Amino acid sequence: MTTSPTQAGTATVRADELSLRFGRKTALDAVSFVLHDGVTGLLGPNGAGKTTLLRILATAIPADSGQLRTLGADPHTAAGRLAVRRRLGYLPQNPGFHPHFTAFEFVDYIAILKEITHARHEEVRRVLHAVGLDGERGTRIRALSGGMRQRVALAAAILGEPALVILDEPTVGLDPEQRLRFRELIANTGEGRTVLLSTHQTEDVMTVCQQVIVLDQGRVRFQGEPAALAAVARGRVWTSATRAPGALAAWRTGAGTYHNIGDPPPDADLIDPSIEDGYLTLIDAAGTVGQPA
Amino acid sequence: MTTEQAPRSAGDWHVPDDDLRSYASGAAAPPWLWSTEAHLAACQACRARLADCVDPAAVTAGWERLDARLDAPKPGPVEAVLVRLGLPAHTARLLACTPGLRKSWLAAVAFTLAVATAAAHVAQSTTVPTPLLAIAPLLPLIGVAISFGPHVDPSYELAVVAPLHTFRLLLLRCAAVLSTTTLLSAVASLALPEYGPVVLGWLAPSLALTLLSLALTPRLGPVKAALVVGLGWAALLAATVRVPTGESALFTAPGQAGLACTAIVAALAVWRVRSGFDTARRLGRPVGQANRRML
Repeated sequence: MTTSPTQAGTATVRADELSLRFGRKTALDAVSFVLHDGVTGLLGPNGAGKTTLLRILATAIPADSGQLRTLGADPHTAAGRLAVRRRLGYLPQNPGFHPHFTAFEFVDYIAILKEITHARHEEVRRVLHAVGLDGERGTRIRALSGGMRQRVALAAAILGEPALVILDEPTVGLDPEQRLRFRELIANTGEGRTVLLSTHQTEDVMTVCQQVIVLDQGRVRFQGEPAALAAVARGRVWTSATRAPGALAAWRTGAGTYHNIGDPPPDADLIDPSIEDGYLTLIDAAGTVGQPA
Repeated sequence: MTTEQAPRSAGDWHVPDDDLRSYASGAAAPPWLWSTEAHLAACQACRARLADCVDPAAVTAGWERLDARLDAPKPGPVEAVLVRLGLPAHTARLLACTPGLRKSWLAAVAFTLAVATAAAHVAQSTTVPTPLLAIAPLLPLIGVAISFGPHVDPSYELAVVAPLHTFRLLLLRCAAVLSTTTLLSAVASLALPEYGPVVLGWLAPSLALTLLSLALTPRLGPVKAALVVGLGWAALLAATVRVPTGESALFTAPGQAGLACTAIVAALAVWRVRSGFDTARRLGRPVGQANRRML
């Protein structure tokens, strides 16, 4: 199901056979993909290598082997890394804050690190406005809620109109309303630039992503449109009054029937699969389902 | 400026249209400008007419300027001191979050130096204030170790992927830490005038240990590098101190020359390995748990 990086056009990121090991553990194993403008979701179970991959793309760590071309530059060289960093926005999995800073001061601090010299304060105000934090500019970060802190981190990520924005699980820990607002922000961020969004939430992928990559055990299992990911499970999802024996995964729905994924019996009541169904089917093919996260 | 005279004392006098337009465009000159402003402050009707004379874009821009001025962050105490010392505002902000400049750290350094100085006073029978000279070099070493790295800087990962070179940020913070610890150590030395110039024997090892630690950082990470160098310093002291007098060859002229040479060699080594600071891999595991502890 892996898509080779042969897609035509001007790719923002072109990764070919990227590999990385931490001691004996293989974090990434010959990962290949391309990214274009728009929002691409990165799905995968815990330990799949998502954060490692994002850190490589963000130039925080280098890959052991493989080719990477980001925004036309080679991040393996110092000059290439600098070129990428000047056009990069990055929201790490655990964005750290200096707690005594206000939201404005923290974003200003990142703006200095990003070497934004022209009208720096105006740019800080612009990004804080873009994430809806006009009223919290002067609030100390330690006094902000988790959702607001994530927005501060997103504001820092979009400083200087980056061409590539990398977001590592930005919706983790947010309540449903905050998650909806964040999706809207991400969708807006993806207009005219490339956004790579790592997430556990298939709803995030369904609502804001034009492309999706599924990473599992350090390998790319799928790259394509979300609808194509759902189609992976076509003919393998059905409902039944009782839990179907032998189903790969089955759960009782709110309607009282069971939602089953796997090899259906001959008389099964097949339904249209969702992205989640496609994702679970893929991960099952890799043997990950049922293993502890 | 029109010469038309209006009845100024009367309550029904208002700024003529031409003058209002002149004021709005910024062309009005004193003293007419002052009297117009005084009148506008008291006359709602003229203020309303003034709004019609002003370019809306200019009004918006003016509000934005005012808003930006009001919104501009007020520097904290550390930042304010650094700016007063002549540092550019953006550099002061980069240094403001250096752990080695926090009050708690500076207080710990001052306390440690006070204890070391007191110990040197007690041991006045020797010709060298060994407690101070042994401990003072460790302070910048520790200060630098806690100033930058994946486990002490909450936004370390963001700093690594920023265009500003990580090595430059590290050097800035090292310079700040070295400056403060050197100043405090110098003050402690002034409290021991009876020892003469030998009391400044901590300076060369301070530089040597800090630079050695930096040179090892890309390979070991900041904390482990400082630990290795600190233990090395302790071993060196233990090997050279003469038991009855407490004197060490490290604080003689040849010993100091050797430490100065070590500092120079270490500085060259730091320069050679500077590219190792450019990514997070060699500086320890990228920030994960460390960040959660910060908030």
